[in-house]
Amino acid sequence: MIVAKDLYKTFKLAKKQKKEQGSSSADSKVHAVSNVSFECRPGRIFCLLGPNGAGKTTILRMIATLMKPDSGSIEVAGYDTVESAQKVRAHLGFLTGSTKLYDRLTTKELVKYYADLHGMDNTDFNRRKEELFDLLDMNDFAERRIGKLSSGMKQKVSIVRTIIHDPDVVIFDEPTVGLDVITSRSIIDLIRRCKSENKTVIFSTHIMSEVSLISDDLAILHEGKLLYNDTYKAFEDRMQAGSLEEEFIRILQEGKS
Amino acid sequence: MKTILTIFRKELKDSLRDRRTIITMIIVPLLMFPVMIGLTSRFIMSHEAKAQVRELKVGVLAGENAGEFVEMLHEQENILVFEQIHLEEGQELIASDSLDAFIVFHEEFDRQVSELGQGEITFYLKGTEEREIEEYRIMELLSEYEELLRTDRFDELNLDISIIETISVSKVNLATQKEQLADMVGGILPYMFILFCFMGSMYPSIDLAAGEKERGTLETLLTSPVNRLQILIGKFGVVVLTGISSAAVSLLGLYLGVRYVSSIPAEFVDMVMSILEPGSILVLLSLLLPLSVFFAGLLLSISFTARTYKEAQSKIGPLFPVIIIPAFIGMMPGMNLNASTALIPILNVSLATRTIIAGQADVGIMIIVYLSLAVYAAAALFLCSRTFSRESAILQ
Repeated sequence: MIVAKDLYKTFKLAKKQKKEQGSSSADSKVHAVSNVSFECRPGRIFCLLGPNGAGKTTILRMIATLMKPDSGSIEVAGYDTVESAQKVRAHLGFLTGSTKLYDRLTTKELVKYYADLHGMDNTDFNRRKEELFDLLDMNDFAERRIGKLSSGMKQKVSIVRTIIHDPDVVIFDEPTVGLDVITSRSIIDLIRRCKSENKTVIFSTHIMSEVSLISDDLAILHEGKLLYNDTYKAFEDRMQAGSLEEEFIRILQEGKS
Repeated sequence: MKTILTIFRKELKDSLRDRRTIITMIIVPLLMFPVMIGLTSRFIMSHEAKAQVRELKVGVLAGENAGEFVEMLHEQENILVFEQIHLEEGQELIASDSLDAFIVFHEEFDRQVSELGQGEITFYLKGTEEREIEEYRIMELLSEYEELLRTDRFDELNLDISIIETISVSKVNLATQKEQLADMVGGILPYMFILFCFMGSMYPSIDLAAGEKERGTLETLLTSPVNRLQILIGKFGVVVLTGISSAAVSLLGLYLGVRYVSSIPAEFVDMVMSILEPGSILVLLSLLLPLSVFFAGLLLSISFTARTYKEAQSKIGPLFPVIIIPAFIGMMPGMNLNASTALIPILNVSLATRTIIAGQADVGIMIIVYLSLAVYAAAALFLCSRTFSRESAILQ
């Protein structure tokens, strides 16, 4: 379960950015997230939809305790992200779009490293590793260094790294960006699997077709503000435009005006 | 603690699989001293040998004077004598490197000598450092000739030659071998150790901070249930270890260089071996440990503020002179370890190393050195942890 209440987050502009934007000292801050509240429930997939720069990654980073909100609060699996950041992270899996792994470690070494950081004992690790390696057909490259793997293989390692400790909450931040159809499908399958295991899943994207594939709940974010927050079914039922994409654009334009 | 060890082991494994770290941490420090010692001694020896046997072209303008000297010159092997060259011509030949030496005797030279005066000789040459040995060969001949004339003069006067020696000095050098060595190499050795310590820390600190940020792996690591201080200490440990290992490997390189480069004089080998004993090495490493914590703190703090590996390299570059200058000042003659210099980081390690090599370390001053290094190391660690706790420093 994730409960986010009245989130605000601002960033200071660097000197260079201020120059580029011609900003005065008065507006040296950017409001990345303004007054955002939502709930993600177990066994459901919560999609965070928004164009680039909408504030999706900032929200996910705050949930993952990488950033602190300026005000407001987030609870993950019953723990506050500021007060109990370490406990939040123990219940969390976080997968980002680009595969961010240690190229000089082997697949097995990398997965073991993250299992160790999550405090897993060897028996649990071996059982979970075997289960996931078999499921994703990874045994052939278990001893190969990450740097020598194809992007599809790397993505599989990223998936295992994310869920090796069997987290209650899984965050996917634009996980399919730059991936081919087959690898993207493996991510979508993983998200569905997490849902079937009654995990809380939050999935950010700017691709409408992905939303329609897996979404249970939907939030549309634009310039740091929530423009829509309800079930995906309600979104479909209330559609005024001819297609999902057009409806999304309509909501964004309405939000601007 | 277990988590810190897990991070430390992984970071170490990752760093040791990086070619740049291996080169700066092991290969360069290991080979630097043997190559330097081998090449220098070989070059000096071959230069000396060549200079001793090289055929010298010596011009002489003596007229009817200094017959014995001209005869001496002719008797020398590897000296070609050109007589009765005019003054201007001889100077031109020296300038154009056609002659190695041109010796001009005063036209009244023999008379000056026979009248118990000083016979005037002008010695033209191109006096560069690389021709020192050739110059020495000619000066030796002139001294021999002077000795000959002096003996003749004293014989004619029926005097004992020893009467011109008014004092007799016997020089007894009571400096220990270690003290003499500290004088000779006491400056350069700490300079090299400090440099290797810094260089050994440099690449891992760039790779484990800015490199991880650039590759996006730091963000992944930060989502695991470990606190940032544990991550920082794990990384810090690896940077400190690589720095100190680099300096230790350079010591090994020094040992191998001195032991196995055959052209080094035996007494020099003995002197260097006398400082490479376990006690001295431990003291040296104990000085380098807080220094490498200080370096690790500085380097990681800078590296975390950079967004890419390249940016970190360009930010760390200007730190080189800051490290080198105090280490270099420590090499200067007249610089001593005292209560003031013991407080200046890097310089204090440089000077303390010299005193250790000389076997003259003062316990009180050494305590000041250790305390000040501990304070600098703690300050650098604090600075680093502050930097690492800033969102803007750790996220792209």
